[in-house]
Amino acid sequence: MPNYIEGSSLKLTPVDRIFVNAEFYSGEKFENAELHRMFPITGLTQYIALIDSEGNEIGIIRDLNDLIPESRDVALGCLDEYYMMPRIKRFIKMSEKFKIWMWTVETDKGICTFEIRNHITAIKPLYDGRILIKDANDNRYEVPDVKKLDKKSYNMLAPKI
Amino acid sequence: MAEISNRPIPSEFRDKLYSVVKPEDILFIVVGDLNLNGKYAESMAVFLKDRVITFDECLDVEYKETKYSDVEKAKIKRLYGNAIFKVKKNDGTYEALLRFSYAAAEVADAGANFINVTNQNGYKEDELEVVEAVYSKQRSFCPKCGRKLPKPNAECINCSGKGKIISKFAKYISPEKGSLIFCMILSVVTTAMSLVPPYITKTLVDSVIPDHNRKGLIAIILLLVGVYVVQYAVNGLRAYQLRLTGDRIIMGIKKDIYAKAQYLPMSFYDKISTGSVINRVNSDASVIQNFVMKISQEAIVQAFTLIGLIIIMLSMNWKLTLFSLIPIPTVVIVAKIFTKTIKPKYMRLWRRGSAISTILADTIPGVRIVKAFTNEKSAIRKFDSYCDEWYHEDKKVAAPAAIFPSVITFLVTCGSLVIWFIGGEMVIGGESDITLGLLVSFISYASMFYTPVNFFANIGDTYQNTLASAEKILDILDAEPEHNFGKGNTEPRLDGRIEFKNVNFAFDRSKKVLSNINLTIEPGDIVGIVGTTGSGKSTLINLLMRYYDEYDGEIFVDGENIRNIDMDYYRNSIGFVQQEPMMFRDTIFNNIAYGSNNTKVEQVLYAAEVANAHGFISKMPDAYDTMLGERGVGLSGGEKQRVSIARAVLKNPSILIFDEATAAVDSETENLIQGAIERLISGRTTIMIAHRLSTLRKANKIVVVDKGEIVECGTPEELMALKGKYYKLIEIQSMGDLLRKKKEEENFE
Repeated sequence: MPNYIEGSSLKLTPVDRIFVNAEFYSGEKFENAELHRMFPITGLTQYIALIDSEGNEIGIIRDLNDLIPESRDVALGCLDEYYMMPRIKRFIKMSEKFKIWMWTVETDKGICTFEIRNHITAIKPLYDGRILIKDANDNRYEVPDVKKLDKKSYNMLAPKI
Repeated sequence: MAEISNRPIPSEFRDKLYSVVKPEDILFIVVGDLNLNGKYAESMAVFLKDRVITFDECLDVEYKETKYSDVEKAKIKRLYGNAIFKVKKNDGTYEALLRFSYAAAEVADAGANFINVTNQNGYKEDELEVVEAVYSKQRSFCPKCGRKLPKPNAECINCSGKGKIISKFAKYISPEKGSLIFCMILSVVTTAMSLVPPYITKTLVDSVIPDHNRKGLIAIILLLVGVYVVQYAVNGLRAYQLRLTGDRIIMGIKKDIYAKAQYLPMSFYDKISTGSVINRVNSDASVIQNFVMKISQEAIVQAFTLIGLIIIMLSMNWKLTLFSLIPIPTVVIVAKIFTKTIKPKYMRLWRRGSAISTILADTIPGVRIVKAFTNEKSAIRKFDSYCDEWYHEDKKVAAPAAIFPSVITFLVTCGSLVIWFIGGEMVIGGESDITLGLLVSFISYASMFYTPVNFFANIGDTYQNTLASAEKILDILDAEPEHNFGKGNTEPRLDGRIEFKNVNFAFDRSKKVLSNINLTIEPGDIVGIVGTTGSGKSTLINLLMRYYDEYDGEIFVDGENIRNIDMDYYRNSIGFVQQEPMMFRDTIFNNIAYGSNNTKVEQVLYAAEVANAHGFISKMPDAYDTMLGERGVGLSGGEKQRVSIARAVLKNPSILIFDEATAAVDSETENLIQGAIERLISGRTTIMIAHRLSTLRKANKIVVVDKGEIVECGTPEELMALKGKYYKLIEIQSMGDLLRKKKEEENFE
């Protein structure tokens, strides 16, 4: 059984953007530990694994809200840095020739252009209205709610989902 | 001199770069697409012989120089969807130099390696060649449109001309040209015949019936009978010919998709579900066939009818003809709107249909697992929800698809009513040369006139459906197949010397599976590969089998790069026994002889004997003629394994690979299989992946793989003396074995 970490027994302090020092109430310390989501798509703040500098799992935090507020903020910051899945706000341009698509989109991280090789495998609509997109370089993107897209963007995306 | 760069140098950094460094001093450049804060922006790392210069808008300074001599280790830290180029300085601190999405991860990897190797051995030209090789793989872009190519110097499907899609399907149609033209001529005859009766009706109404001309009536009826006989007889012949032609076309497409599917690399199947491939062979090919038939036959017939009708109608009365054309613009506009609305809907419907096929292909062959976990209800629920989704999309298509023809028909009927009204007025008023017979015959022609119009209005629907299917089929037909089938080098017989040189591999860019694999295996060596689950053992074998060719570094067999060896010959030289051997729905004999041509009976018996399989096969009532069900139903796991070993024996391979061959069987069967393996491996290079280290008792070399790297390599004795990972594994397993033995003894008592 995985080792679940009591939120109140753990203190996280930042090392840099993605690494943290973890200190347990028992006195046990881990330097340069990382936080990984067990459910990067469906659970953004729940079931977060704490990994030591060797890549071994120290334990799992069931919910980041169980941590003391300072540690929780550190954890959220690190996860936000580690997981880059830009949220697409609108679709600017989609050109297609012979099944290779070039999409230019505006995301929360800025405007970018990427290539989609096969929209059947690259685009995964989820039941909750989210759309996950994986480009030809295995970068990931997310449309948080397809219904909230502007009409032009929706019309561009609709034939492919 | 053009720089070695993964992307053009960002203009904002160009001037600054050349003001601090001479162009000839630059070795290579990694252009990133993120800034250090993770926002999309241009960034850049310029590698020189002794230092790297980085540019990033988040830096406090214009650029930053990092000397290699200050760096203890450079590495790429892969995050989720992005990566950071990090260096550990000699003072123990870490520094992030560059951030980028996975698009630049491979070249950045090469950059990090370059720093580490240069730090170790000093700058060497050789190392730059390694970097250049990675770049040339990355720079497989079309010079014209800039899109990525499947491999360096491949033809860009984007730029190879629009006619290509058409020509791809023309390949299937052109052998049937003669037959299609013949059918077309027959169509023209039937169409011409169908235009005759209304004309005769005019004479019937205007002169024969009012004149009480009985002879004339009989003559006309006989003439009409003759016309109908010719029309329907020719039509029957045409339908027969057309069916055969269509069947041949669809057969050609299906055969090609299937053949192509056999040669597609494993990476294709990693991304596309098998259900979706099956769907493409079965239904999408039929959609194309229907469309070809519609275009090559009906479209021409309808066009011919349309022209014929316009000529006849104009010659009868030009005014009425113009009136009958009134609804046409409306029909065309409605058709356009319809096409635009329905196209995305068809695409979505196709996706839902394909999802149903996929779930079928997943669960029906795995029905044993469904039953074992009493998961029937959940499987049904899932299938139901997929069907409901399909129905939901189908409803969206059904509404416009059903309403559209009705709207068109209504418009057409209105057109007829207009002609009745205006023509009727003309006949009643007697103001022109329009007779009742002419009006009746005109109305008949007018009603025929709308059929082709209707056809052309509806063809958009079929066309959209076809485009969706054509796209799916071309996905397979255009996919890059495995290389070197029927070409490349062959040797009389491989000796079996295997060498991995600097091999790095990732299934996708998010995680490296193998790093820096260097390994030499001499002919006749028996090599055991051990490591925990997921350590990369099987991937190593997958590369050796050439299931994946897209790795960095080189693998040599007998000194020849395996990428240059004929694939057919190469795979035939390797015997591969897998953990879960695949059996086909065929006899045991054919299952053993699978993949070998012209196999003699005695060779199969010998192979079965060597594999310890002859004993159990000969005890079966149908012996070698026993028919196996799907996936080898009817044989136990150990029996299937021995059949698969017999398969390998029959191949007489130079290299043998066993991937956990005895993992799923009991101790007694393991001994039988082990005996078979030992007989088989003598004199051949053998690689064995094993969890149970006891199966490696014959191995003269052990390779320990951990987290994608070779951590230990040597004879079993050397590794035991080393007291490292292998020693630990042996310790754990002997403890486990002891416990198991004890438990077994207790149970027996």
